[in-house]
Amino acid sequence: MHRLTGWALSTPATLAVVLFLILPVGATIAVTLTDPRGLLAPYEAFLNSRFRRTVLWRTMEIATVTTLAAVIIGFFTAYVVSRAPPRLKSILIILAVFPLLTGVVVRSFAWLILLGRNGLVNGTLIWLGITDTPIQMLYTQWSVILAMVYLFVPLMILVLVGVLETIPDDVIEAATSLGAPPGAVFRQVIFPLAVPGIIVGAVLVFTGAFTAYATPALLGGDRQMTMGTLLHQQAMVTLNWTSASTVAAIMVVVTVVVVLAMTRIARWLNPAAT
Amino acid sequence: MRLCSTVLLAGAAGMALSAGSPLQAQTLTLSWWGFGGDRLEEFVLAPFRDYCGCEIVIETGNNSDRLNRVQIRGGAGVDLIYLTDSFSQSGIEAGLFQPIDRSLVPNIDGLHELARNPQGEFGPAYTIGRVGIVYDSAQVAEPITSWADLWREDLRGRVSLPGITTTAGPMVVMTAGDVAGVDAFADPDAAFAQLEAILPNVVKNYNTGSEMINLFSTGEISVSMAQDFALAQLQAAVPTIVWAELEEGDIATLNTINIPVGAEEVELAHRFINFVLDPERQRILAENGVDAPVHAAVELSPEAAANWTYGERLQNLRRVDYSRLNAARPDWIERWNELFGG
Repeated sequence: MHRLTGWALSTPATLAVVLFLILPVGATIAVTLTDPRGLLAPYEAFLNSRFRRTVLWRTMEIATVTTLAAVIIGFFTAYVVSRAPPRLKSILIILAVFPLLTGVVVRSFAWLILLGRNGLVNGTLIWLGITDTPIQMLYTQWSVILAMVYLFVPLMILVLVGVLETIPDDVIEAATSLGAPPGAVFRQVIFPLAVPGIIVGAVLVFTGAFTAYATPALLGGDRQMTMGTLLHQQAMVTLNWTSASTVAAIMVVVTVVVVLAMTRIARWLNPAAT
Repeated sequence: MRLCSTVLLAGAAGMALSAGSPLQAQTLTLSWWGFGGDRLEEFVLAPFRDYCGCEIVIETGNNSDRLNRVQIRGGAGVDLIYLTDSFSQSGIEAGLFQPIDRSLVPNIDGLHELARNPQGEFGPAYTIGRVGIVYDSAQVAEPITSWADLWREDLRGRVSLPGITTTAGPMVVMTAGDVAGVDAFADPDAAFAQLEAILPNVVKNYNTGSEMINLFSTGEISVSMAQDFALAQLQAAVPTIVWAELEEGDIATLNTINIPVGAEEVELAHRFINFVLDPERQRILAENGVDAPVHAAVELSPEAAANWTYGERLQNLRRVDYSRLNAARPDWIERWNELFGG
């Protein structure tokens, strides 16, 4: 009876996942498997194209660097926030997540103003005498990564604050009282306990960065094309639905593989984490 | 009894509302770029609303976005679509547009010949433009006088080219072919090899006129290949911008206005086209920086004509064979992606 009740209660969510996730993704992948040239012809064409391989590799690079930077910056920021007194903690959390209140396009556009040849960064460098002429910062891979890190660090902080808060102070005090130096306390107590939160945050950041469109479009352009901007070009500009579906299918596969890999890493770092 | 009367009255009121008022306005849906929207509103949309008593809804985007949306909807969704001639040619070849009933658009007879039926029985041209080179004379010491100057070493990291999917994008490839001494349609390998040589000069390619203007105004670029519709706003943003006088001449573009096969307000759409082609309307649009006139009766002062493709400028323009261009486009897009995105 309880089991039947459980099934009944989960039916609406299951139906929603099937209707709005599994069926559309399945239909997208089905388009790539019914090409007149052959079963896997679209994927062969993708992998045989130097340009498309470069786009895939570039997107992986951007997403990986963004994730690593977000984990490092987010972890230490979240640790400071989690150990702050309650009143200060609220203020710090608000400050950390304040950027999330504005849209992705607005936040990405702000970097156009900051990193431009006549922007704030170049103006400061020239004023300090570090350079005589403006440095080209926009429309490079690094400008895309910088903006992505800015976009995703608040998300990482939010995830990690919740996890780090659950680490009891008693555990840290016990390790310290048994003679563990701070480095050992971090490596053998805090970090393993934080691994589940790090993995959740890393998955969210990686998938967001890997599938991003607005930031690469604004700050990268067609010379820094990513899977998201390539998909838009193929679907909405050249109307090549097979090619666009192939890009989408590869994005799904890469995302799933990376999530599974991260889960394995989490288990290795903390066997109790699942 | 009172309750019964109330229910009857409510029901009658509801039926009257749902049947629609006889004064309900028609709605004309326009597909257009979005560039300079305030001027379109002031000099076209607002006057036409007064003229027809109708509502107007706008759908915006660049040529390829909007044409693809019409194609996805099977020719429906909008009553009129503004496109450059290369994209309207694609739309015609895809069977998306219906022939224009010229008896409903008498102002077509007053247009310059090249604008009357540029694509047969389909939409007329409502304006003519040109593609050329613009540059910031305060940043570029030596004037630009030839298409080949885009490859100059002193322009390293200072150039933006139109994206391959824009109106002027394929003209970049044609220009590269000219510089290499080949016909880009016949020998794309040589044309793209020449284009590869320009890579060090290119900062970023642009996909909309406003993006190009932003690149100039923020100092990211000093030179671009552009269409003249953006010149007035570009010079308002950067007063030192000049239009290069090229020894080979500029390239002509015609903007057309077509009625998709699935348009709901066909008669109203024809009235709109006739309204836009009216000589007085064409004069107002030209004098207020919206579009160059194609009606032969329009006379502009030298100041008003300064930035437009008008008068003698109409004689020296190079034309593009859009049938060949549209056939080459898919291959050129792939090659462009390999070159700029790889």
